[in-house]
Parts: sequence; structure tokens; C-alpha cells
Amino acid sequence: MAETMGQTASSTRNTKAALGILVLALAPQLFELVWSLGTIIGLGTGRGPAQVLLAHGAALLSAAPNAVFGSVAADAKKGFSSDVLLALIYSYPLFAVAIVTLFVKIRAPQDYIGGIVLLALALLALWASSDLQGMRGFSFGAGTAPRMFGVLMLALGAGIAGMGLFADGPELGHYSWRGPLFVCAAIIFFALAIRPLGLVVSAFASFMIAAFGSHETRWVEAIIVGAALTLGCALLFPYVLGLPMPMFPRFLIQ
Amino acid sequence: MDLFANLAHGFAVALSPINLLMCLIGALVGTLVGVLPGIGTIATVAMLLPITFGLPPVGALIMLAGIYYGAQYGGSTTSILVNIPGEAGSVVTALDGHQMAKQGRAGPALAIAAIGSFFAGCVATVLIAILGGPLTKLALAFGPAEYFSLMVLGLIFAVVLAKGSLLKAIAMIVFGLLLSMVGSDIETGASRMAFNIPELADGLGFATVAMGVFGFAEIIRNLDHGAELNRDLVQQKITGLMPTRKDLIDSAPAIGRGTVLGSILGILPGGGAVISSFAAYTLEKKLAKNPSRFGRGAIEGVAAPEAANNAAAQTSFIPLLTLGIPPNAVMALMVGAMTIHGIVPGPQVMQKQPDLVWGMIASMWLGNLMLIIINLPLVGIWVRLLRVPYRLMFPSIVIFCAIGIYSVNNAPVDVIMAGVFGLVGYWLIKHDFEPAPLLLGMVLGPLMEENLRRALLISRGDWSVFVSRPLSAVLLAIAAALLVLAVLPALRAKRDEVFVESES
Repeated sequence: MAETMGQTASSTRNTKAALGILVLALAPQLFELVWSLGTIIGLGTGRGPAQVLLAHGAALLSAAPNAVFGSVAADAKKGFSSDVLLALIYSYPLFAVAIVTLFVKIRAPQDYIGGIVLLALALLALWASSDLQGMRGFSFGAGTAPRMFGVLMLALGAGIAGMGLFADGPELGHYSWRGPLFVCAAIIFFALAIRPLGLVVSAFASFMIAAFGSHETRWVEAIIVGAALTLGCALLFPYVLGLPMPMFPRFLIQ
Repeated sequence: MDLFANLAHGFAVALSPINLLMCLIGALVGTLVGVLPGIGTIATVAMLLPITFGLPPVGALIMLAGIYYGAQYGGSTTSILVNIPGEAGSVVTALDGHQMAKQGRAGPALAIAAIGSFFAGCVATVLIAILGGPLTKLALAFGPAEYFSLMVLGLIFAVVLAKGSLLKAIAMIVFGLLLSMVGSDIETGASRMAFNIPELADGLGFATVAMGVFGFAEIIRNLDHGAELNRDLVQQKITGLMPTRKDLIDSAPAIGRGTVLGSILGILPGGGAVISSFAAYTLEKKLAKNPSRFGRGAIEGVAAPEAANNAAAQTSFIPLLTLGIPPNAVMALMVGAMTIHGIVPGPQVMQKQPDLVWGMIASMWLGNLMLIIINLPLVGIWVRLLRVPYRLMFPSIVIFCAIGIYSVNNAPVDVIMAGVFGLVGYWLIKHDFEPAPLLLGMVLGPLMEENLRRALLISRGDWSVFVSRPLSAVLLAIAAALLVLAVLPALRAKRDEVFVESES
């Protein structure tokens, strides 16, 4: 009884991990899709969402037969589009890893997942440098060193993941959402607001947003400190250190 | 003699009013950082990098150096009084130092820590001055193959001496190397791994990554534990700063040993202040006639690690100033600071910029003198600072970092990139990856690639050049031997033991 329960627990965990890796395997494609949504409302340039969906869907489906026939017809590799290469170099290996994950016993989830993410990063780097020139005679091309270190990191990531299968180790750490969310929100707000709204407004507002990150914040106190800090920065950076920076909102100055 | 002429020149530079002021600011900020937990040296140096923009290079580097060794002093204060090490290098000081404070001997503990640090600082300053010249000459004899091998050795040292899994530390270095390659290739100008994003064409800013991984990530991680750190201050007044005669006699040999050990470990890459304080404490415990006194307020347990971490903090400048190779993450940031000011670190700096090198060396001695004054009589002020709650500190740090990054290039995108790396750093911490080797890899990446390219070009594509040139072969052999030693079970256990001791 206890044994079966243990097994179901570990198998649901494996399924979860495998699903996570599956998402990771499609992450660049999904990222471009989300990015392309911006083109609808006129933000940014690039392919529209429909195009992205079509191109990547086709690439993911056609990459496998292409690869098989490509290896028969020598030198066909140069004809591959970047989307197909992404599927071949990045997504397919990770699909394989996701499938393997379903059947193994993960003894140190922290190491296993950590290793796989590094592995994915290495594959991404290999894909990103696949269009670069390799060795030309004795001299390095632009792509030689990135590929060398990419392969090295691939091996290391695999090694770390492998260790997670053979040695017992810690569980995944607990992630909280509040701190990261509000700190990141404060950073993004600052980045977007500094040009149009100036230092005074954006620094104070970001301070208040960041303060949401902790449930222990006392608001009166935070407002006083935030105001004092804003004043200090407004004097320190532009005047004492002489770094040029917009101070007040553009529409107020005009 | 050359040495004295150089030192005299250095003091002339360091004693100019502006440099004295920079040294004082550095020492003050360093102490502040050392006292306040939740904000580390690396994050602070990264945060202040952009601020040094407007300063002359000598003043800027004097200030940044002051922060680093100043933090070692400040960290000991909180370790002893509050049992919260403000700085990783003073974790072991808390073991015996806080026990002494509980027995009402906080004054002598603080005094011995300061005296030990000052003595170590003086010795280390002289050591830098003595070793600087010869090592620079050696470095000038290095070809690209030797340089590459030396960097490999440095990285291996960093990995072996780092805490935790070897494999993970190496992976972090390689990750750093890969990150350093984003952007334009130096020789061909090809855009590498930039994903057609124009903002990436110039590469990832070093300060941006450092601030994200060390500044933002640390804040996010600290918020996990709840903002309120547990701080039960030793409330009684500190009376009688002067140590007794017996204290002095007991601690003098410990300070000597700590200084020697710290100086050696500081020069070795990857060492720095943290590992040397652990090692010094372990050594004292091994040598003591009655080891059971340790952990119960033995004064040697305060004196040795404090001397060691301060010595190491200073001698770690030696590889940076003579070879241009940073031995740890803080020194990696110093490389960043030098490049901001248009100085290429390396052996030529000693000859081309004597003002900078000798001024910095002399300022270290002056800084140590200032730190004694800052720390001993003013200790009450620093302790009061501990009452500043983290809930007010963390939004301030976020804003300060954000403004700092923005001011480097006046680019809002940089701020967002730092945020992204903050999340990356948070993830790394959750998976037990050390971010410090990543930074080291990122700084050494371009140097390594360039030297590798050159070495292979000169040897006409023959890889055996790394083992056929004797100096390079020796360096690589040491690196290989170290790696083998580190995975041997006996030494592994020892290495883990050193770190476990401090945590229990």
C-alpha cells in the first residue's frame, strides 16, 4: 500500500517535471509568439502571430523528415531555415529529455532540474551560434568559441542532471511570488518611466511599488523614507555626480 | 631603493586631498555595508561602479578598494555584537566573538579584531609593494598560450576553493563564458547570439549582470525569509575597549598565523576573504592545546580569522594589478571599473600608470588607519544602524540600483536586463548554483578567447602548444592536479567539513 502510494507520488512528480521540460522545449517559440502579439497593436516589428504560429508549426513538423533526408543528401544542411534549426537543435533534444524524465527515478530534483535547464541554455546557445562562421584554417571564426563552450556546458548540464539521478539530494526550493513580482514590477516601471516622467516621479513611484514586496511594510513610514530617498537621489546623481538625467515629467517642463 | 621610491610616490598620490576623501568615503561605505546584513560587498561595488564615472580613475579605484577591505572590518563588528555576520568573510568571527560579547568582553573582542585587521593590512600592503615588481616582470614574459593556461588555472582554483559542488561551479563558469560572448565578435565584428535584438549588439553590460545577479537577486531572496531578520542586540554598554595583557599575548601568534595564511590564500585565485577566514579558524583550532575552548569565547578564534580575511582582501589585488587577472568576483568588478575608465588591466598598468597602482597601494595603508578610527571609537553609531529595518532598506536598494544602472549608458533597457538577471540569480540560488564563478567567467571570457585564438594562430593550429611550452605546461599540470585532488574522497570530506563547521 505504502509502496504504491509512494510510486504514484513520484510518478505525478515525474509527469509534472516532464511537462515543465516540454514547455521549456517550446519556450523560444512561445516567446516569439507572445512577442508577435505586440505587432497587432503596432508595437515592435517582426512577424505577426499567425506567421509565427505557421512557421514554427511547420518547422517542428518538418524538421524530422528534413533531417533524415538531409543526411542522405549531403550538404543540404545549409538550406535549413533558422526555425527548422531551432526545432532540430533545441526542441527535439529537449522533447527526448522530457520523455526520458517520465521513466527515471529522480533522487535529487534540485540538481536534476537545474542540470536540465543548463542543458537547455547550452542548446539555445548552440542554436544561436549555428549561423556563425567556424574555423578558417588556423584562425578561429566568430562561432568557434561559442560552440566550444556551448558543447562544454551541454556536457556539464547533462552531468549535473545525471548526478540528480544517482545521488540523493534536496527537493526543489520553495519559490515565493510576492517579492519577485513587486521588485520586478518596480524595476520595469522605473525603466519605462525614467525617460517620460523623470527621476523624481519614477524613483518615488518605484519605491512604493517595491515596498509592496513585503507584507511588513508600514505605509506612513515608507512614504516618508521614499520621499527622503527621492530627494537625496535627485540631489546626488545630477548635481554631485554630474550625471545627466531628466528630473521632472516632460509635459510639466514644456 | 626602487621599492621605497615607489611607495613614496604612492603616498604622495594617496595623500592628495581628493584621494584622501575618496579613501575615507570608501572606508565609510565599506564599514556600512559590512555592518548591514542583507547587502553584500559585490552588490555594493556593482552599485557604486556607475557613480565613479565622474571621478578621476585613481580616486574611483581607491574608493572601490576601500569598500572591499572596509567591509571586512565592519562585518566583524556585527558578528561580535549581534551574532549576525554582515559579511560572509566574518561568519567564523561570530562563533567566538559573540561568545566573548555575551561574557561581557565585547570591548576586547572588538579591539583585537581591529588590531588584527590593522596588522594584517599593514603586512599585506608591504607584500603587494614587494611582489608587484617581480610578478609584473614574470607576466611580461608570458605569451598567449601561458596566459590562457594561467586563466584556466585561476578558474580551476576558484572552483576548488568555492563552496558546494565542483560540477556546478564549473558549469557556472562556462555559463559566464557564454554570456560574455553575446554581442559583436572583436575580430570579425559578426553579431553573436544577439537574436537580432539591437540592444544586445554591444554585449551584456558587466555591471548590469553583476547588479542583477548580486543586487536584485539577493533582495528577492531575502524577502523570501520575511523582511524582519532576527536581531537581538547585545544591549549592555560596551565598557573597556582595551584588551588585557593576557589577551594580547594570547592573540599575537594567532594574528601572525592568520596574516600569513590570509596573504597566501588571497593571492591564489578564487580564495579571497571568505575562505581564508575559515581556514585560519580551522588552523587555530588544530594548533590549540585545548581545542574545546573554541566556540566558547577563545580570543584566538577572533584574532586569526579577522587578520586572515583582511590580509586576503588586500593581497587579492596582487594578481589583478600584476597579471590583470581577477582572482575573485569583487576583483572582477574592479576590472569593470578599470575598463570604464579606459584602463586595460594587465602587467603594463604598473609601468604606464604608476600613479594608479602605487597610489592605490598606499591608500590601502591609509585606509586601514582610518578604519581603526572609524570602527573602534564610533562603534556605537554602527550598532545603532542595525536598527534600520530591512522593510525600508530593500526598496531603497532597488531604487538606488535602478538609477545606477540607468546612468551607465542612459539606457532604460539596461535596467530591464538587470531585472531579468535578478530573476536568473534567484533561480540560481534556488538550485544551489553559486553566482560568483559566473561573474568571474564573464570577465575572463573575452580575455580567454582572445589568448586562445592568438596562441593557436601563432602555433599554426597546433593544439599541443599548451603542453609543449614549459611554463604553460606547468600551469596546466597544476590545474589538473588540483582538480584530481579536489575529487579525491579524503580531501572532499575535509573541504566540506570546513564549511559545515561555520554553519553549525
